[in-house]
Amino acid sequence: MDFNNIQKKTTAKWENLVNSKDPVIYYGAASCGRAAGSLDSKKVIEETLKKLKIKAKLVEVGCIGPCCYEPLIYIQKPGSLPICYYNVTLDKAEKLVKDIFTKNKPRKDMALGVLGDKPIGKIPPIYDHSIFKNQVRLVLRNCGIIDPKDIDHYIAHDGYQAIKKVISMKPQEVIEEIKKSGLKGRGGAGFSTGMKWQFCRDAPGRPKYLICNADEGDPGAFMNRSLLEGDPHAVLEGMIIAAYAIGANQGYIYIRGEYPLAIERLNNAIKQMKNYNLIGDNILGSNFNFNIEIKTGAGAFVCGEETALMASIEGHRGMPRPRPPFPAQSGLWGKPTNINNVETMGSIANIIRMGGGEYSKLGSDTAKGTKTFSLVGKIKRPGLIEIPLGTKLKDIIYEVGGGIDNDKKFKAVQTGGPSGGCIPASKLDLTVDYQSLTAVGSIMGSGGLVVMDEDTCMVDIARFFLDFTQDESCGKCTPCRIGTKAMLDILTRITEGKGKEEDLDELARLCDTINKGSLCGLGQTAPNPVLTTVRHFKDEYLEHIRNKKCRASVCQELFLSPCQNTCPAETNVPGYMQLIKENRFVEAYKLNRESNPFSAVCGRICFHPCEDKCRRAQIDKSISIMALKRVVTDRAFEVKGNSIFKMKKLKDTGKKVVIIGGGPSGLTAAYFLKRLGHEVTVFEAHSKPGGMMVQGIPPYRLPREIIEREINSIEKMGVKIKLNTRVGKDISIKEIKEKHDAIYIAIGNYKEYALGIENEGANGVISGLQLLKETGQGKKVKVGKKIVVIGGGNSAIDTARTARRLGAEVTILYRRERKDMPAFEEEIDDALEEGIKLDVLVAPSEVLVKNGKVAGLKCTRMSLGSYDDSGRRRPVPIKDSEFDVDCDMIITAIGQSPDSAFLNDFSREILAKNGTIKVDKWTRSTSVKGVFAGGDVAGSGQTVIQAIADGKETSGEIDKYLTGKNRLEEIVGDYSYQMDLPDNQKPMTRFESRKRKPKERIIDFKEVCFGYNEKECLAEVERCLRCDIRDEDEAGGDS
Amino acid sequence: MNSEIKKIVKQFKSKKGALISILQEVQKKYGYLSSNTISAVAEELKISENETYGVATFYSQFRFNKPGKYQIKACQGTACHVRGAKKILGEIEQELKITHGETTEDELFSLEKVACMGCCALAPVTVVNDKVHGTCTPTKVRKTIEDLKKEG
Repeated sequence: MDFNNIQKKTTAKWENLVNSKDPVIYYGAASCGRAAGSLDSKKVIEETLKKLKIKAKLVEVGCIGPCCYEPLIYIQKPGSLPICYYNVTLDKAEKLVKDIFTKNKPRKDMALGVLGDKPIGKIPPIYDHSIFKNQVRLVLRNCGIIDPKDIDHYIAHDGYQAIKKVISMKPQEVIEEIKKSGLKGRGGAGFSTGMKWQFCRDAPGRPKYLICNADEGDPGAFMNRSLLEGDPHAVLEGMIIAAYAIGANQGYIYIRGEYPLAIERLNNAIKQMKNYNLIGDNILGSNFNFNIEIKTGAGAFVCGEETALMASIEGHRGMPRPRPPFPAQSGLWGKPTNINNVETMGSIANIIRMGGGEYSKLGSDTAKGTKTFSLVGKIKRPGLIEIPLGTKLKDIIYEVGGGIDNDKKFKAVQTGGPSGGCIPASKLDLTVDYQSLTAVGSIMGSGGLVVMDEDTCMVDIARFFLDFTQDESCGKCTPCRIGTKAMLDILTRITEGKGKEEDLDELARLCDTINKGSLCGLGQTAPNPVLTTVRHFKDEYLEHIRNKKCRASVCQELFLSPCQNTCPAETNVPGYMQLIKENRFVEAYKLNRESNPFSAVCGRICFHPCEDKCRRAQIDKSISIMALKRVVTDRAFEVKGNSIFKMKKLKDTGKKVVIIGGGPSGLTAAYFLKRLGHEVTVFEAHSKPGGMMVQGIPPYRLPREIIEREINSIEKMGVKIKLNTRVGKDISIKEIKEKHDAIYIAIGNYKEYALGIENEGANGVISGLQLLKETGQGKKVKVGKKIVVIGGGNSAIDTARTARRLGAEVTILYRRERKDMPAFEEEIDDALEEGIKLDVLVAPSEVLVKNGKVAGLKCTRMSLGSYDDSGRRRPVPIKDSEFDVDCDMIITAIGQSPDSAFLNDFSREILAKNGTIKVDKWTRSTSVKGVFAGGDVAGSGQTVIQAIADGKETSGEIDKYLTGKNRLEEIVGDYSYQMDLPDNQKPMTRFESRKRKPKERIIDFKEVCFGYNEKECLAEVERCLRCDIRDEDEAGGDS
Repeated sequence: MNSEIKKIVKQFKSKKGALISILQEVQKKYGYLSSNTISAVAEELKISENETYGVATFYSQFRFNKPGKYQIKACQGTACHVRGAKKILGEIEQELKITHGETTEDELFSLEKVACMGCCALAPVTVVNDKVHGTCTPTKVRKTIEDLKKEG
């Protein structure tokens, strides 16, 4: 049949499908779709249609991209465009079909969008969805649209038009067109495709060979697989054009054995091409002959390297050989060979059809066209995407990918597979192209983008990649074979807590040798993951080496359990969980006090980062660790009163330490230093010790007697607390330094930030901290009737809830969205329950004054702009959106800064520009010898538990400074408890803490939360998985 | 067995560099490459056993002992690793009481860890024979093994 007739026939066939009088159901059945169960769903759909006596066509399609939404089913009602429905698992399929066909319900709740440019009812076009908006689908244009098993569909979509054009051109003209496009190899090296073809064309020797490299071995990359499964003809057409241009009559596709579906699709496609004279002899009636043979890989990553790949086609071990000579001159069986990646091949027909010049308009100046990526890892919407080169990395992750899964913190994105590197948050603004990725130490690679979050350990990632390259190294050259093993050994030691200070230098030396000495790209680029992780995450390496700490809780040998490891004070959580089970509350409390002298306080107000890492959440919900901690502290006091405060103490050292600031950080340091045997004096500027615990946290969250108990216990140990003494005013720091051996400065942040708006100083504008301090002291404070609180952190919530208890109507204004507020979720919920209003995306612009007093607040509405480095959208004022809020009092709670200016007289280097005290992160020392700092004033995490942890850590450093050794480990007592692995993995309910009713609790400052009763406590502690138990601990040895 | 090997080799007679394809076909038929089948292939192709072993042992796809009825492949690629693949492998090892690379005594299960199956968007992934199981959790994986044990 003549090709023009074939085209007419196939176009008519497609039109019939699009305009079908019967419904058409398209189902995505590429590998991801199948893995998600699309074939089961298809079966259910067929059965349901049969039951409903509806005759419908079923068409299999490839993957349209968002794998996270598989199974994807499109339903086309007669006369309409198809609507794409997502997550249509087999339990949802029947109802969906029934709703659409018998109840005429469009099911917007399950619709991703219309496959077309017009909406249907309230369902918008799919291309307006944020997943697709930034994409330009050129290579993937047919994936998920056509049936990959039917060549007619391909031809109906301009398929093989390029061949028609090419056979009327001269081969050199074809090469010129590809050169004009600026296309660079999409396999990773990024070499000019046009030039590569030219080299092969110009090389003497016959026959010439064409190879398509479909050995997509990079872990994390599946773009090529999707293209081959969804639109194999796009690649095959490209191969014919390439072969024509270089003068080859035999082609090979070298494809991984791990891709059986893709192999099936290719075989089927080639068979169909034969029927239409698109392959074999005299293609489309021309003089050009071309045949393709499929060679299946047998599982060797190195065979993705071109010379190894050719060795494998020749039936040998896949070992690379030196270049030159390059494949273009001497390749397969010594003949001139051109090898291109699947995506490169898949781009060719598009370029020929649209023209090289048009193609070069896409992308950036240095990188033309589009690129497919597999966006995977800790991302909300993993899947296959295609974007113009030059798109910002940030936009790919947040706009297209939807941000980090579970709203965790972004840590790095890994590009280029084992040859590439990890890019940190600070570089998210970079544009994705060959040059910018190389500039940060990574490479484009084949297109894998693996997103990593706070739960990923970068040292472990480097070790993971080295483990891979070590395994896949062919062994031919020494630098790679031995070098990768040497690097792997060092990295493994570091992850096991056996790292040495010299290891980083040794790694650097090895990286250099391996890179310069290896024969092929596998070895040459094997050091890249190490180089980039050391470059961008050096502190994490040093933490593993110096502190034996894995902050992501991945390296098992470095921590007991994720909860214990995530607690800034490293409280032995599983230990006290077990002690609770054994009804040993006093010991549970003492175990807590080994890490934290304010356990009772934390049992009520901590932000419990431990619970965010609790592995129980993988089964049902995290353990209520904080609530259980509270039970421990309450019960321990009930049982033993004050005698439970006796903790292990070392001999007196005769050294004198002064602590400036009697808040959680200072008092914690005092507690540990006293236990270490030093003489401790605390200078506190206010009339009561406790810092933010008494001045910032209201009594309804933290009753005063709870704080007082634990502060008294520290005083009873012999720590001298001098109240009403402000250092820098009542006594000079120089004087203190002369009379003492070491100083710890933990004065916190007490200067409220100004709003920076007009009339801020008016009567009726007060600081949140001021209100909290006075009500915390039990003073009766008069407030307005209608109050506006500005801020989004815990201070703002505490302030609002306090004002509410004083009888006011309260509104909180915050300039971003609720999910961006730093305040604890539970606190915000409690505030809303108490009738406090929250108005988001609002910023104050001017205080309105009447008769010298606050009468209102002028505000502007905000909209969300582009993403910043923290992954939050920047608030941008909306033009002409000003409005007035009626109020008679405005309370500011937007944060505090340190009141540290007095330290400038002491030392000019001690303070940073913003007033925080600069500390060495390893020794915790300031620029002055013997003077240390911690807590909020040193820029720490602005939470009580972090301040406590700083106090504990610094006490160890001060001890080292004073005695030559950090003896914190020597003061820990002995605790033994059962180490039996519980059998509790069936889902169980999490007991939430009971609270007083909102209407009852807003009339006083009594505690809102009730502690667990005995039944709740035992049920909750039962759920703990005891992540601290390892195989060796279990009775009976290893399993 | 020798006649079967002869048949397979004949299939590829006209193709250059067919050793790997031949070994793949042999493994497809017998489930693995035994020392006998390797000798037979070497003899048919008139190459040394040494060279044949050299090629076979280079590629991770080839197995040299009998696989279980259910071949479990636990993907340990980057996306799967970052989403907890190590724990999944550990769970399977604990359930079956074997480590990766081994077969259970009753020859029901064999376990391998593989580098990347290409289903990264559904990480972590486990493949049982040809079926791909996506978004695995320790609970799901234990259930799958229980169900297969029941089937026998």
